[in-house]
Amino acid sequence: MPRLRPSLFWQARREISPLAAQLLPACRDLESAANELRWIREHVQDTPSSVPPGLRVWNLVEKRGKGVPLQYVLGTQPFGNLEIQCRPGVLIPRPETEAYTLHLATLLSQSQHPPPHSLSILDLCTGTGCIPLLLLHALHASLPPTTALNIHGIDISPAAISLARANHHQHNPLPAPASPPLSPSHQRTLTFHQTSIFSPTLLSSLLPTLFPRSSSGLDLDLLVSNPPYISASDFARATARAVRNHEPRLALRYAARWGWCRPEDVFYARLLEIAAVLKPKRVLMEVGGMEQALRVVRMVGRFSSLLGGDGDGDGDGDGS
Amino acid sequence: MFRPFLSLRPLLRLAGFSAAHNGVLPPSSAVAAAAFTTSTATNLKQLPPRPKHPPESEIEESFLKGSGPGGQKINKTNSAVQLKHLPTGIVVKSQATRSRTQNRKIARDLLALRLDELANGSQSRAAVVGDVKQKRAASKAKKSRRKYKKLAEEKEKKGNVKEEGGRLAGEEEEWLEEEEDGEEEEGKDEGGRKEVTTLGGTGTKRATIVEVENTRNER
Repeated sequence: MPRLRPSLFWQARREISPLAAQLLPACRDLESAANELRWIREHVQDTPSSVPPGLRVWNLVEKRGKGVPLQYVLGTQPFGNLEIQCRPGVLIPRPETEAYTLHLATLLSQSQHPPPHSLSILDLCTGTGCIPLLLLHALHASLPPTTALNIHGIDISPAAISLARANHHQHNPLPAPASPPLSPSHQRTLTFHQTSIFSPTLLSSLLPTLFPRSSSGLDLDLLVSNPPYISASDFARATARAVRNHEPRLALRYAARWGWCRPEDVFYARLLEIAAVLKPKRVLMEVGGMEQALRVVRMVGRFSSLLGGDGDGDGDGDGS
Repeated sequence: MFRPFLSLRPLLRLAGFSAAHNGVLPPSSAVAAAAFTTSTATNLKQLPPRPKHPPESEIEESFLKGSGPGGQKINKTNSAVQLKHLPTGIVVKSQATRSRTQNRKIARDLLALRLDELANGSQSRAAVVGDVKQKRAASKAKKSRRKYKKLAEEKEKKGNVKEEGGRLAGEEEEWLEEEEDGEEEEGKDEGGRKEVTTLGGTGTKRATIVEVENTRNER
Protein backbone atom coordinates (compact mmCIF):
# COMPACT_ATOMS: atom_id res chain seq x y z
CA MET A 1 0.00 0.00 0.00
CA PRO A 2 1.66 3.28 -1.08
CA ARG A 3 2.17 5.97 1.54
CA LEU A 4 -0.33 8.84 1.58
CA ARG A 5 1.18 12.31 1.26
CA PRO A 6 0.69 14.52 4.36
CA SER A 7 -0.56 17.27 2.03
CA LEU A 8 -3.50 15.01 1.15
CA PHE A 9 -4.55 14.99 4.82
CA TRP A 10 -4.30 18.78 4.95
CA GLN A 11 -6.33 19.03 1.77
CA ALA A 12 -9.02 16.76 3.26
CA ARG A 13 -9.15 18.88 6.44
CA ARG A 14 -9.37 22.10 4.50
CA GLU A 15 -11.73 21.14 1.68
CA ILE A 16 -14.01 18.57 3.30
CA SER A 17 -13.73 18.17 7.06
CA PRO A 18 -11.24 17.02 9.71
CA LEU A 19 -13.37 13.87 9.88
CA ALA A 20 -12.60 13.16 6.22
CA ALA A 21 -8.90 13.35 7.05
CA GLN A 22 -9.51 10.76 9.72
CA LEU A 23 -11.13 8.48 7.14
CA LEU A 24 -8.26 8.81 4.64
CA PRO A 25 -6.08 5.93 5.92
CA ALA A 26 -8.96 3.54 5.18
CA CYS A 27 -10.42 5.22 2.08
CA ARG A 28 -7.11 6.15 0.38
CA ASP A 29 -8.49 9.05 -1.71
CA LEU A 30 -10.41 12.27 -1.20
CA GLU A 31 -13.47 11.34 -3.24
CA SER A 32 -14.24 8.13 -1.39
CA ALA A 33 -13.45 9.76 1.98
CA ALA A 34 -16.03 12.46 1.19
CA ASN A 35 -18.55 9.84 0.08
CA GLU A 36 -18.09 7.64 3.13
CA LEU A 37 -18.31 10.62 5.48
CA ARG A 38 -21.59 11.60 3.81
CA TRP A 39 -22.95 8.07 4.13
CA ILE A 40 -21.97 7.90 7.80
CA ARG A 41 -23.76 11.22 8.42
CA GLU A 42 -26.84 10.06 6.54
CA HIS A 43 -26.86 6.83 8.53
CA VAL A 44 -26.70 8.76 11.81
CA GLN A 45 -29.49 11.06 10.62
CA ASP A 46 -31.72 8.17 9.55
CA THR A 47 -31.35 6.05 12.69
CA PRO A 48 -32.73 7.50 15.93
CA SER A 49 -30.63 7.16 19.07
CA SER A 50 -30.31 8.76 22.47
CA VAL A 51 -26.62 9.48 21.83
CA PRO A 52 -26.02 12.96 20.35
CA PRO A 53 -25.55 12.76 16.54
CA GLY A 54 -22.20 14.54 16.51
CA LEU A 55 -20.72 12.04 18.93
CA ARG A 56 -22.11 9.12 16.96
CA VAL A 57 -20.60 10.42 13.72
CA TRP A 58 -17.28 10.87 15.49
CA ASN A 59 -17.35 7.33 16.91
CA LEU A 60 -18.24 5.74 13.57
CA VAL A 61 -15.59 7.75 11.72
CA GLU A 62 -12.97 6.70 14.25
CA LYS A 63 -13.91 3.05 13.80
CA ARG A 64 -13.86 3.30 10.00
CA GLY A 65 -10.58 5.22 10.05
CA LYS A 66 -8.97 2.30 11.86
CA GLY A 67 -9.81 0.06 8.90
CA VAL A 68 -13.05 -1.65 9.94
CA PRO A 69 -15.13 -2.22 6.77
CA LEU A 70 -17.82 0.43 6.30
CA GLN A 71 -20.47 -2.29 6.15
CA TYR A 72 -19.61 -3.45 9.68
CA VAL A 73 -19.49 0.17 10.88
CA LEU A 74 -22.94 0.99 9.50
CA GLY A 75 -24.33 -2.52 9.93
CA THR A 76 -25.75 -2.85 6.42
CA GLN A 77 -24.86 -3.34 2.77
CA PRO A 78 -27.29 -2.65 -0.09
CA PHE A 79 -27.85 -5.78 -2.19
CA GLY A 80 -30.22 -5.34 -5.09
CA ASN A 81 -33.08 -3.41 -3.55
CA LEU A 82 -32.50 -4.95 -0.10
CA GLU A 83 -30.50 -3.57 2.80
CA ILE A 84 -28.72 -6.69 4.04
CA GLN A 85 -27.61 -6.54 7.67
CA CYS A 86 -23.90 -7.20 8.22
CA ARG A 87 -22.13 -8.22 11.41
CA PRO A 88 -18.49 -9.03 12.14
CA GLY A 89 -17.99 -12.76 11.68
CA VAL A 90 -20.07 -13.01 8.51
CA LEU A 91 -18.79 -12.21 5.01
CA ILE A 92 -20.05 -8.92 3.52
CA PRO A 93 -22.03 -9.38 0.28
CA ARG A 94 -20.01 -8.31 -2.78
CA PRO A 95 -21.26 -6.31 -5.79
CA GLU A 96 -20.25 -9.12 -8.19
CA THR A 97 -22.52 -11.49 -6.30
CA GLU A 98 -25.30 -8.90 -6.47
CA ALA A 99 -24.89 -8.57 -10.24
CA TYR A 100 -25.08 -12.27 -11.03
CA THR A 101 -27.91 -12.88 -8.57
CA LEU A 102 -30.05 -10.23 -10.28
CA HIS A 103 -29.13 -11.69 -13.68
CA LEU A 104 -30.03 -15.15 -12.43
CA ALA A 105 -33.41 -13.94 -11.20
CA THR A 106 -34.30 -12.47 -14.61
CA LEU A 107 -33.14 -15.69 -16.32
CA LEU A 108 -35.26 -17.83 -14.00
CA SER A 109 -38.39 -15.74 -14.39
CA GLN A 110 -38.17 -15.09 -18.15
CA SER A 111 -36.66 -18.20 -19.66
CA GLN A 112 -39.49 -20.58 -18.89
CA HIS A 113 -42.79 -20.50 -20.78
CA PRO A 114 -45.24 -21.39 -19.43
CA PRO A 115 -44.10 -20.47 -15.89
CA PRO A 116 -43.15 -23.56 -13.90
CA HIS A 117 -45.41 -25.15 -11.32
CA SER A 118 -42.69 -24.82 -8.70
CA LEU A 119 -39.08 -23.72 -8.37
CA SER A 120 -36.68 -25.18 -5.82
CA ILE A 121 -33.35 -23.55 -5.07
CA LEU A 122 -30.49 -24.57 -2.78
CA ASP A 123 -27.80 -22.08 -1.71
CA LEU A 124 -24.71 -23.57 -0.07
CA CYS A 125 -22.40 -21.35 2.04
CA THR A 126 -25.11 -18.73 2.27
CA GLY A 127 -23.45 -16.30 4.75
CA THR A 128 -25.77 -13.33 5.29
CA GLY A 129 -28.42 -15.12 3.21
CA CYS A 130 -28.18 -12.40 0.57
CA ILE A 131 -28.44 -14.66 -2.50
CA PRO A 132 -31.57 -16.63 -1.50
CA LEU A 133 -33.22 -13.48 -0.09
CA LEU A 134 -32.70 -11.47 -3.27
CA LEU A 135 -33.85 -14.43 -5.39
CA LEU A 136 -36.94 -14.79 -3.22
CA HIS A 137 -37.75 -11.09 -3.56
CA ALA A 138 -37.14 -10.90 -7.30
CA LEU A 139 -38.96 -14.14 -8.10
CA HIS A 140 -41.82 -13.32 -5.74
CA ALA A 141 -42.37 -10.09 -7.69
CA SER A 142 -41.93 -11.49 -11.20
CA LEU A 143 -43.43 -14.98 -11.14
CA PRO A 144 -47.20 -15.53 -11.20
CA PRO A 145 -48.68 -16.49 -7.82
CA THR A 146 -49.37 -20.02 -9.03
CA THR A 147 -45.66 -20.86 -8.91
CA ALA A 148 -44.46 -22.32 -5.64
CA LEU A 149 -40.98 -21.40 -4.38
CA ASN A 150 -38.96 -23.72 -2.19
CA ILE A 151 -35.64 -22.09 -1.22
CA HIS A 152 -33.07 -23.36 1.30
CA GLY A 153 -29.80 -21.87 2.51
CA ILE A 154 -27.07 -23.83 4.28
CA ASP A 155 -24.02 -22.55 6.16
CA ILE A 156 -21.63 -24.01 8.71
CA SER A 157 -21.36 -20.88 10.87
CA PRO A 158 -23.98 -20.32 13.60
CA ALA A 159 -23.34 -16.56 13.41
CA ALA A 160 -24.11 -16.60 9.68
CA ILE A 161 -27.30 -18.61 10.13
CA SER A 162 -28.63 -16.36 12.89
CA LEU A 163 -27.83 -13.28 10.78
CA ALA A 164 -29.46 -14.86 7.72
CA ARG A 165 -32.59 -15.52 9.77
CA ALA A 166 -32.56 -11.95 11.05
CA ASN A 167 -32.27 -10.69 7.47
CA HIS A 168 -35.09 -12.95 6.38
CA HIS A 169 -37.23 -11.67 9.22
CA GLN A 170 -36.51 -8.08 8.17
CA HIS A 171 -37.05 -8.57 4.44
CA ASN A 172 -39.96 -10.94 4.28
CA PRO A 173 -42.01 -10.27 1.14
CA LEU A 174 -44.43 -13.04 1.99
CA PRO A 175 -47.76 -12.36 3.67
CA ALA A 176 -47.85 -12.80 7.43
CA PRO A 177 -49.05 -16.18 8.69
CA ALA A 178 -52.21 -14.57 10.04
CA SER A 179 -53.50 -13.79 6.55
CA PRO A 180 -55.28 -16.58 4.63
CA PRO A 181 -52.68 -19.22 3.73
CA LEU A 182 -52.04 -20.08 0.10
CA SER A 183 -52.86 -23.59 -0.95
CA PRO A 184 -50.04 -25.99 -0.01
CA SER A 185 -48.85 -26.41 -3.60
CA HIS A 186 -48.43 -22.66 -4.06
CA GLN A 187 -46.40 -21.91 -0.96
CA ARG A 188 -43.27 -19.82 -1.03
CA THR A 189 -40.77 -20.63 1.67
CA LEU A 190 -37.19 -19.80 2.54
CA THR A 191 -35.42 -21.71 5.32
CA PHE A 192 -31.89 -21.64 6.66
CA HIS A 193 -30.09 -24.67 8.10
CA GLN A 194 -26.85 -24.80 10.01
CA THR A 195 -24.67 -27.70 8.90
CA SER A 196 -21.35 -28.38 7.22
CA ILE A 197 -21.56 -29.17 3.53
CA PHE A 198 -18.84 -31.78 4.15
CA SER A 199 -21.03 -33.56 6.68
CA PRO A 200 -21.68 -37.16 5.60
CA THR A 201 -25.31 -36.93 6.69
CA LEU A 202 -26.02 -33.94 4.41
CA LEU A 203 -26.69 -36.02 1.31
CA SER A 204 -28.23 -39.01 3.04
CA SER A 205 -30.58 -37.43 5.56
CA LEU A 206 -30.95 -33.60 5.39
CA LEU A 207 -31.35 -32.79 1.71
CA PRO A 208 -33.91 -35.53 0.88
CA THR A 209 -36.21 -34.04 3.51
CA LEU A 210 -35.97 -30.56 1.93
CA PHE A 211 -36.72 -31.38 -1.69
CA PRO A 212 -39.18 -33.87 -3.21
CA ARG A 213 -37.76 -36.79 -5.16
CA SER A 214 -37.80 -36.85 -8.92
CA SER A 215 -37.04 -39.67 -11.36
CA SER A 216 -33.25 -39.08 -11.52
CA GLY A 217 -32.33 -37.39 -8.24
CA LEU A 218 -34.02 -34.73 -6.18
CA ASP A 219 -36.34 -32.19 -7.74
CA LEU A 220 -33.95 -29.23 -7.64
CA ASP A 221 -33.95 -26.41 -10.21
CA LEU A 222 -30.90 -24.50 -9.10
CA LEU A 223 -27.83 -25.11 -6.98
CA VAL A 224 -25.99 -21.85 -6.24
CA SER A 225 -22.92 -21.29 -4.12
CA ASN A 226 -20.34 -18.66 -3.26
CA PRO A 227 -17.83 -20.85 -1.40
CA PRO A 228 -14.48 -19.78 0.10
CA TYR A 229 -12.11 -19.76 -2.87
CA ILE A 230 -9.00 -17.72 -2.00
CA SER A 231 -5.70 -19.63 -2.03
CA ALA A 232 -3.21 -19.30 0.83
CA SER A 233 -0.78 -17.23 -1.27
CA ASP A 234 -3.53 -14.95 -2.61
CA PHE A 235 -4.84 -14.50 0.91
CA ALA A 236 -1.41 -13.31 2.04
CA ARG A 237 -0.70 -11.05 -0.97
CA ALA A 238 -3.68 -10.19 -3.17
CA THR A 239 -6.34 -9.78 -0.48
CA ALA A 240 -7.17 -6.31 0.82
CA ARG A 241 -6.09 -5.51 4.36
CA ALA A 242 -9.63 -4.72 5.55
CA VAL A 243 -10.80 -8.11 4.28
CA ARG A 244 -7.87 -10.01 5.81
CA ASN A 245 -8.12 -8.35 9.20
CA HIS A 246 -11.86 -8.02 9.69
CA GLU A 247 -13.78 -10.56 7.63
CA PRO A 248 -14.04 -14.21 8.69
CA ARG A 249 -11.33 -16.50 7.28
CA LEU A 250 -13.83 -19.32 7.37
CA ALA A 251 -15.71 -17.65 4.51
CA LEU A 252 -12.62 -16.78 2.46
CA ARG A 253 -10.22 -19.72 2.27
CA TYR A 254 -9.92 -23.39 3.04
CA ALA A 255 -6.47 -24.44 4.13
CA ALA A 256 -6.52 -28.25 4.32
CA ARG A 257 -6.08 -30.69 1.46
CA TRP A 258 -8.90 -32.98 0.50
CA GLY A 259 -8.22 -35.81 -1.93
CA TRP A 260 -6.53 -34.90 -5.18
CA CYS A 261 -7.27 -31.21 -5.67
CA ARG A 262 -5.74 -27.92 -4.55
CA PRO A 263 -6.87 -26.51 -1.19
CA GLU A 264 -8.64 -23.55 -2.80
CA ASP A 265 -10.63 -25.89 -5.08
CA VAL A 266 -11.77 -28.30 -2.39
CA PHE A 267 -15.19 -26.69 -2.11
CA TYR A 268 -15.82 -27.05 -5.83
CA ALA A 269 -15.01 -30.76 -5.65
CA ARG A 270 -17.50 -31.20 -2.83
CA LEU A 271 -20.12 -29.01 -4.56
CA LEU A 272 -19.81 -31.08 -7.73
CA GLU A 273 -20.09 -34.25 -5.67
CA ILE A 274 -23.32 -32.91 -4.19
CA ALA A 275 -24.51 -31.83 -7.63
CA ALA A 276 -23.79 -35.30 -8.99
CA VAL A 277 -26.17 -36.80 -6.44
CA LEU A 278 -28.90 -34.16 -6.53
CA LYS A 279 -28.77 -33.64 -10.30
CA PRO A 280 -30.04 -30.03 -10.24
CA LYS A 281 -31.13 -28.49 -13.55
CA ARG A 282 -28.64 -25.63 -13.18
CA VAL A 283 -25.52 -25.02 -11.12
CA LEU A 284 -23.96 -21.62 -10.46
CA MET A 285 -20.71 -21.28 -8.53
CA GLU A 286 -18.70 -18.12 -7.96
CA VAL A 287 -14.98 -18.53 -8.65
CA GLY A 288 -12.00 -16.23 -8.10
CA GLY A 289 -10.58 -15.42 -11.50
CA MET A 290 -9.98 -17.10 -14.85
CA GLU A 291 -7.44 -19.71 -13.78
CA GLN A 292 -9.70 -21.10 -11.11
CA ALA A 293 -12.64 -21.01 -13.52
CA LEU A 294 -10.71 -23.18 -15.99
CA ARG A 295 -9.76 -25.66 -13.27
CA VAL A 296 -13.37 -25.89 -12.15
CA VAL A 297 -14.60 -26.44 -15.71
CA ARG A 298 -12.09 -29.28 -16.08
CA MET A 299 -13.37 -30.68 -12.81
CA VAL A 300 -16.93 -30.54 -14.08
CA GLY A 301 -15.87 -32.57 -17.12
CA ARG A 302 -14.22 -35.19 -14.94
CA PHE A 303 -17.29 -35.50 -12.71
CA SER A 304 -19.76 -35.83 -15.55
CA SER A 305 -17.66 -38.55 -17.21
CA LEU A 306 -17.26 -40.37 -13.90
CA LEU A 307 -20.85 -40.20 -12.79
CA GLY A 308 -22.72 -39.95 -16.08
CA GLY A 309 -24.55 -36.78 -15.02
CA ASP A 310 -25.05 -33.86 -17.39
CA GLY A 311 -22.67 -31.23 -16.03
CA ASP A 312 -24.27 -27.85 -16.64
CA GLY A 313 -21.67 -25.74 -14.91
CA ASP A 314 -21.96 -21.98 -14.98
CA GLY A 315 -18.90 -20.40 -13.45
CA ASP A 316 -18.76 -16.74 -12.58
CA GLY A 317 -15.37 -15.10 -12.89
CA ASP A 318 -14.38 -12.11 -10.84
CA GLY A 319 -11.71 -10.59 -13.07
CA SER A 320 -8.75 -10.81 -10.72
CA MET B 1 -48.06 35.85 5.84
CA PHE B 2 -50.47 35.28 2.97
CA ARG B 3 -50.16 31.49 2.91
CA PRO B 4 -53.22 30.62 5.02
CA PHE B 5 -55.37 32.76 2.74
CA LEU B 6 -53.92 31.19 -0.38
CA SER B 7 -54.77 27.74 0.85
CA LEU B 8 -58.29 28.86 1.63
CA ARG B 9 -58.86 30.24 -1.84
CA PRO B 10 -59.77 26.92 -3.55
CA LEU B 11 -62.08 26.17 -0.65
CA LEU B 12 -64.03 29.36 -1.24
CA ARG B 13 -64.19 28.62 -4.95
CA LEU B 14 -65.46 25.11 -4.31
CA ALA B 15 -68.06 26.07 -1.79
CA GLY B 16 -69.27 29.09 -3.74
CA PHE B 17 -70.98 31.98 -2.00
CA SER B 18 -74.34 31.09 -3.51
CA ALA B 19 -74.23 27.72 -1.77
CA ALA B 20 -73.41 29.42 1.48
CA HIS B 21 -76.38 31.74 0.94
CA ASN B 22 -78.73 28.84 0.39
CA GLY B 23 -77.49 27.20 3.54
CA VAL B 24 -76.19 24.15 1.59
CA LEU B 25 -72.90 22.90 2.97
CA PRO B 26 -70.25 21.62 0.55
CA PRO B 27 -69.35 17.91 0.73
CA SER B 28 -67.06 17.43 3.70
CA SER B 29 -64.40 15.50 1.76
CA ALA B 30 -63.87 18.41 -0.60
CA VAL B 31 -63.42 20.74 2.34
CA ALA B 32 -60.92 18.43 3.98
CA ALA B 33 -58.89 18.01 0.80
CA ALA B 34 -58.75 21.73 0.21
CA ALA B 35 -58.16 22.77 3.80
CA PHE B 36 -55.04 20.61 4.30
CA THR B 37 -53.10 21.86 1.29
CA THR B 38 -49.70 22.82 2.60
CA SER B 39 -48.01 24.25 -0.48
CA THR B 40 -49.18 26.96 -2.80
CA ALA B 41 -51.16 25.36 -5.59
CA THR B 42 -50.11 27.92 -8.21
CA ASN B 43 -46.45 26.79 -8.39
CA LEU B 44 -47.26 23.11 -8.56
CA LYS B 45 -49.54 23.56 -11.52
CA GLN B 46 -46.97 25.32 -13.65
CA LEU B 47 -44.17 22.78 -13.18
CA PRO B 48 -43.57 20.60 -16.22
CA PRO B 49 -43.70 16.83 -15.45
CA ARG B 50 -40.55 14.86 -14.67
CA PRO B 51 -38.98 13.86 -17.99
CA LYS B 52 -39.04 10.16 -18.95
CA HIS B 53 -35.86 8.09 -19.02
CA PRO B 54 -34.30 7.76 -22.48
CA PRO B 55 -34.50 4.26 -24.02
CA GLU B 56 -31.87 1.79 -22.78
CA SER B 57 -30.57 1.28 -26.35
CA GLU B 58 -29.26 4.88 -26.36
CA ILE B 59 -27.40 4.54 -23.06
CA GLU B 60 -23.95 3.17 -22.45
CA GLU B 61 -23.64 2.21 -18.81
CA SER B 62 -20.40 1.66 -16.95
CA PHE B 63 -19.65 0.85 -13.35
CA LEU B 64 -16.61 2.72 -12.18
CA LYS B 65 -14.24 0.48 -10.34
CA GLY B 66 -10.54 0.06 -10.24
CA SER B 67 -8.77 -2.79 -11.97
CA GLY B 68 -7.22 -5.60 -9.98
CA PRO B 69 -8.72 -8.34 -7.89
CA GLY B 70 -12.42 -8.45 -7.14
CA GLY B 71 -14.89 -10.74 -5.46
CA GLN B 72 -14.03 -11.96 -1.99
CA LYS B 73 -10.50 -10.55 -2.16
CA ILE B 74 -11.51 -6.91 -1.78
CA ASN B 75 -14.37 -5.03 -0.25
CA LYS B 76 -15.51 -2.06 -2.29
CA THR B 77 -17.86 0.57 -0.95
CA ASN B 78 -17.99 2.62 -4.14
CA SER B 79 -20.83 1.70 -6.44
CA ALA B 80 -20.77 4.68 -8.77
CA VAL B 81 -22.70 4.43 -12.03
CA GLN B 82 -21.77 6.40 -15.13
CA LEU B 83 -24.08 6.78 -18.10
CA LYS B 84 -23.27 8.03 -21.56
CA HIS B 85 -26.08 9.09 -23.83
CA LEU B 86 -24.83 7.93 -27.22
CA PRO B 87 -26.70 10.34 -29.57
CA THR B 88 -25.72 13.51 -27.67
CA GLY B 89 -22.55 12.44 -25.86
CA ILE B 90 -23.82 13.71 -22.48
CA VAL B 91 -22.15 11.91 -19.59
CA VAL B 92 -23.65 11.77 -16.11
CA LYS B 93 -22.39 10.01 -13.02
CA SER B 94 -24.07 9.14 -9.76
CA GLN B 95 -22.47 8.05 -6.53
CA ALA B 96 -25.22 9.39 -4.32
CA THR B 97 -25.95 6.18 -2.43
CA ARG B 98 -24.14 2.98 -1.49
CA SER B 99 -26.65 0.99 -3.52
CA ARG B 100 -25.87 0.39 -7.17
CA THR B 101 -29.55 -0.23 -7.90
CA GLN B 102 -30.41 3.22 -6.52
CA ASN B 103 -27.48 4.90 -8.26
CA ARG B 104 -28.57 3.47 -11.61
CA LYS B 105 -32.00 5.00 -11.14
CA ILE B 106 -30.65 8.36 -9.96
CA ALA B 107 -28.23 8.53 -12.91
CA ARG B 108 -31.10 7.87 -15.33
CA ASP B 109 -33.22 10.59 -13.68
CA LEU B 110 -30.33 12.99 -14.00
CA LEU B 111 -29.72 12.11 -17.65
CA ALA B 112 -33.41 12.57 -18.43
CA LEU B 113 -33.28 16.04 -16.83
CA ARG B 114 -30.23 17.02 -18.86
CA LEU B 115 -31.80 15.83 -22.10
CA ASP B 116 -34.96 17.72 -21.25
CA GLU B 117 -32.87 20.82 -20.63
CA LEU B 118 -31.14 20.36 -23.97
CA ALA B 119 -34.41 19.92 -25.85
CA ASN B 120 -36.62 22.50 -24.14
CA GLY B 121 -34.14 25.10 -22.89
CA SER B 122 -35.77 27.57 -20.55
CA GLN B 123 -39.06 25.63 -20.68
CA SER B 124 -37.43 22.48 -19.26
CA ARG B 125 -38.26 21.17 -15.83
CA ALA B 126 -34.81 21.84 -14.39
CA ALA B 127 -34.92 25.48 -15.54
CA VAL B 128 -38.46 26.05 -14.27
CA VAL B 129 -37.71 24.43 -10.89
CA GLY B 130 -34.53 26.47 -10.63
CA ASP B 131 -36.48 29.67 -11.38
CA VAL B 132 -39.11 28.89 -8.76
CA LYS B 133 -36.48 28.17 -6.12
CA GLN B 134 -34.55 31.31 -6.97
CA LYS B 135 -37.70 33.42 -6.69
CA ARG B 136 -38.60 31.83 -3.39
CA ALA B 137 -35.11 32.45 -2.00
CA ALA B 138 -35.16 36.04 -3.24
CA SER B 139 -38.50 36.78 -1.62
CA LYS B 140 -37.37 35.19 1.61
CA ALA B 141 -34.22 37.30 1.62
CA LYS B 142 -36.29 40.41 0.92
CA LYS B 143 -38.67 39.65 3.78
CA SER B 144 -35.86 39.04 6.23
CA ARG B 145 -34.11 42.23 5.13
CA ARG B 146 -37.37 44.15 5.66
CA LYS B 147 -37.90 42.58 9.09
CA TYR B 148 -34.47 43.46 10.43
CA LYS B 149 -34.61 46.93 8.94
CA LYS B 150 -37.82 47.46 10.88
CA LEU B 151 -36.26 46.06 14.06
CA ALA B 152 -33.26 48.32 13.64
CA GLU B 153 -35.54 51.33 13.22
CA GLU B 154 -37.46 50.40 16.37
CA LYS B 155 -34.24 50.01 18.26
CA GLU B 156 -33.14 53.44 17.16
CA LYS B 157 -36.43 54.95 18.30
CA LYS B 158 -36.22 53.21 21.69
CA GLY B 159 -32.61 54.26 22.00
CA ASN B 160 -33.69 57.89 21.53
CA VAL B 161 -36.44 57.58 24.15
CA LYS B 162 -34.45 55.66 26.78
CA GLU B 163 -31.18 57.40 26.32
CA GLU B 164 -30.80 57.88 30.05
CA GLY B 165 -32.16 54.39 31.04
CA GLY B 166 -28.63 52.91 31.25
CA ARG B 167 -28.76 49.21 32.03
CA LEU B 168 -32.03 48.25 30.38
CA ALA B 169 -31.10 49.85 27.09
CA GLY B 170 -27.77 48.07 27.16
CA GLU B 171 -29.43 44.70 27.58
CA GLU B 172 -31.75 45.30 24.73
CA GLU B 173 -28.92 46.32 22.51
CA GLU B 174 -27.18 43.06 23.22
CA TRP B 175 -30.27 41.12 22.21
CA LEU B 176 -30.62 43.10 19.02
CA GLU B 177 -27.01 42.52 18.14
CA GLU B 178 -27.59 38.81 18.40
CA GLU B 179 -30.50 39.11 16.04
CA GLU B 180 -28.37 40.91 13.55
CA ASP B 181 -25.78 38.16 13.67
CA GLY B 182 -28.56 35.78 12.81
CA GLU B 183 -29.47 37.84 9.80
CA GLU B 184 -25.94 37.78 8.55
CA GLU B 185 -25.82 34.03 8.75
CA GLU B 186 -29.13 33.69 7.02
CA GLY B 187 -27.88 35.90 4.24
CA LYS B 188 -24.85 33.70 3.72
CA ASP B 189 -27.04 30.62 3.64
CA GLU B 190 -29.25 32.20 1.07
CA GLY B 191 -26.27 33.04 -1.08
CA GLY B 192 -25.16 29.42 -1.04
CA ARG B 193 -28.58 28.18 -1.97
CA LYS B 194 -28.83 30.62 -4.82
CA GLU B 195 -25.58 29.38 -6.21
CA VAL B 196 -26.96 25.88 -6.25
CA THR B 197 -30.29 26.75 -7.74
CA THR B 198 -28.83 28.62 -10.68
CA LEU B 199 -27.26 25.31 -11.63
CA GLY B 200 -30.72 23.86 -11.68
CA GLY B 201 -30.82 21.03 -9.19
CA THR B 202 -30.46 19.95 -5.62
CA GLY B 203 -26.82 20.37 -4.80
CA THR B 204 -25.61 19.21 -8.19
CA LYS B 205 -22.23 20.26 -9.46
CA ARG B 206 -22.13 20.91 -13.12
CA ALA B 207 -19.15 20.68 -15.40
CA THR B 208 -19.40 21.18 -19.15
CA ILE B 209 -20.44 17.63 -19.94
CA VAL B 210 -19.84 15.47 -16.90
CA GLU B 211 -22.31 15.81 -14.10
CA VAL B 212 -21.80 14.16 -10.75
CA GLU B 213 -24.72 13.54 -8.49
CA ASN B 214 -23.61 13.31 -4.89
CA THR B 215 -26.83 13.94 -3.07
CA ARG B 216 -29.81 11.76 -2.56
CA ASN B 217 -32.73 12.69 -4.77
CA GLU B 218 -35.76 14.40 -3.37
CA ARG B 219 -38.44 11.82 -3.33
